[in-house]
Amino acid sequence: MSTAKNRRVETVVHAIKGPNNEGVLLLVLLALIIGMSIASPAFFTLSTLFAIIRSSIVPLIYALGVLLVIISGGIDVSFAAIASFAGYATIVLQLQTGIDLGLFGSFACAIAMGIILGGINGFIISKWRLPTLIVTLGTQGMFMGVLLAYVGSRYIAELPSGMASASTVNIWTTKTETGVALLHVMTIPAVVLAVVVAWLLSRTMFGRSVYAIGGDIESASRAGIRVKRTQILVYVLVGAMAATAGVIYMIMGRSANPQEIVGSELDIIAAVVLGGASIFGGRGTVRGTVLGVLLVQIINNSLILIGVPSAWQRTAVGVLLIVGVGIQALSAKKAAQRTSINVEGVAAA
Amino acid sequence: MSDSQLTLKQTNHRVDEWTKHILARVHSNHSILRMMILVVVAFGLFALLSPRVFLTGLNMQNMLLAVPEIGILAVAMMVAMLTGGIDLSLVSIANLAAITISTSFTALAAHDKALAENLGPALILLALLVGLAAGAVNGFLIAYVGVTPILATLGTMQIFNGLAVVWTGGKTLYGSPSGLTLFGKTAIWVIPALFLVFIAIAGVVAFLIGRTPLGLGLTLEGANPVASRYSGINSRSLLMRSYLLTGLLGAVAGIVFIARNPTASADYGASYVLLVIVIAVLGGTNPNGGFATVAGVFLAAMTLQVVQSGFTALRLSTFQYSIAQGAILITVLIVDQVNWSKVFRRNRRTSRA
Repeated sequence: MSTAKNRRVETVVHAIKGPNNEGVLLLVLLALIIGMSIASPAFFTLSTLFAIIRSSIVPLIYALGVLLVIISGGIDVSFAAIASFAGYATIVLQLQTGIDLGLFGSFACAIAMGIILGGINGFIISKWRLPTLIVTLGTQGMFMGVLLAYVGSRYIAELPSGMASASTVNIWTTKTETGVALLHVMTIPAVVLAVVVAWLLSRTMFGRSVYAIGGDIESASRAGIRVKRTQILVYVLVGAMAATAGVIYMIMGRSANPQEIVGSELDIIAAVVLGGASIFGGRGTVRGTVLGVLLVQIINNSLILIGVPSAWQRTAVGVLLIVGVGIQALSAKKAAQRTSINVEGVAAA
Repeated sequence: MSDSQLTLKQTNHRVDEWTKHILARVHSNHSILRMMILVVVAFGLFALLSPRVFLTGLNMQNMLLAVPEIGILAVAMMVAMLTGGIDLSLVSIANLAAITISTSFTALAAHDKALAENLGPALILLALLVGLAAGAVNGFLIAYVGVTPILATLGTMQIFNGLAVVWTGGKTLYGSPSGLTLFGKTAIWVIPALFLVFIAIAGVVAFLIGRTPLGLGLTLEGANPVASRYSGINSRSLLMRSYLLTGLLGAVAGIVFIARNPTASADYGASYVLLVIVIAVLGGTNPNGGFATVAGVFLAAMTLQVVQSGFTALRLSTFQYSIAQGAILITVLIVDQVNWSKVFRRNRRTSRA
């Protein structure tokens, strides 16, 4: 009986804490926006807003995938390699065969590759229950190796016309005093994906399973959740989303460079963790992730705006990550101290 | 307590523990044996496929010269993995140490060339201190703040790397004490001095892990952190010391970088992070902690060096080598997992079915 009560108390605390963390993030975000607007009048304009949205599109889609993996208790560092692979191989395929798949065909082709590559990750991880970081480090090397050795390693400046057609399309264009503010059309898939992932996580059995596996893989399997199937599905979804992001990245950049995307993994993982997802699994929301991505993008943007050299950007993101996870770790420690079994106390005695 | 007082359950448990203990030993020997076979097979394969390039004395010497920097980093990674952690910031620490030597030497040499040369040992000491400081940051975050090693070192990797970029302006630095460069070129008989440094460091770390209370503590902490805490082990100071050691070894690797090639840059060896993890895991280190041998890691470093030199001798690209690395890593993980599960989980599976 008392455990049931405890659990109820815990869920109540959880429910208050979840929104609280996001609340803090929102406050930090607002403070940053107000501070930047005072420091630089150029900041508080529609064109800055649209520029930040534009720069958030690709990281947001990656982050949604990483969110899924992190909630399931894993970590994936191969998504950038999958994005490069799917995007670049789709373009090379079209250029070499001379067949233009069109915009939607290109997406479909890339997503199919993403599903296969993500499926490889999911299969290896779920079949042998291997450490996800090390498996995805291995597959990252393999995906990039296959791409660069057998698909191509050259910079492509001219996209197939189907993909190129979407490069300069905007949903909304307004003239402002400082210039033209453009809202890129690729905002739509990013928003749709965010909504779909939020729906998947909060309203479907699959979402429940992902949280359950991340909470405790053994209990989840005893409770009758199909761990393997869910894990494979998670990595397949991540692969598909990474592929989508890869194509969008190349469309927006109007070029394809197979070595460009890899290396951005940390920023994405940092954003997701800042958004309140627990690296131990079982916790995380789309709302928090969106806020986390926006925070990282705004900080990157404002560092440039207030004249901080771009060399400091990497350090800034590192510090941000350390502060974010540090706060998370300390609050977890406090929570652990509150429980009846005080491990630290025993160790001290 | 006499045996007759033991219940059946306790006896079973005791037998279970015994078999596990014996099997763990077999596994450790098995992993070293496996690595020895791998290194011989790889060597034989490339010697057969490309004897003219691969079997030359120059190639052999190049292999011995190239292996220390990777090998020392892998030994450091092994120390972090022994406690169930990981150190992704190792390569950044090594670069930071190399940059420290290069920048301070250049700054000193601008004033007084002879003084800068004479201060070589002091510069090396300074680089080691930088490594210790970086290790202390990692250790503080992991042991005292309680951040997971992956995230802590992912963050510090970015910070150390960012500092190196700011410090060097993203450029490659030239200049280091000529004594250090000379040492890098020295060979005793035909064996490069740097390789002897690697052997010495591997020996010291093997002694630390196998023969000292620190090593025992690290192993217990990795095997079962909760149990080790209950048995009165101060896990905080232990983890702190483990990351100090890791940082120090990272700095040594940085000194080896600059001794081999008198340049330093922020992005040197970016691909080493994966390689070093591959070597540590390949050498029988359990990524979940609790098991590692220096001999295994040493042999794994030699194996991968043989594979890399072999790939070069066969004129295969670095991209193909990257595929091989990933494939070797995952294959070894799977092979290990299959062995373990067959041995340990058979009972559980049959009872569940």
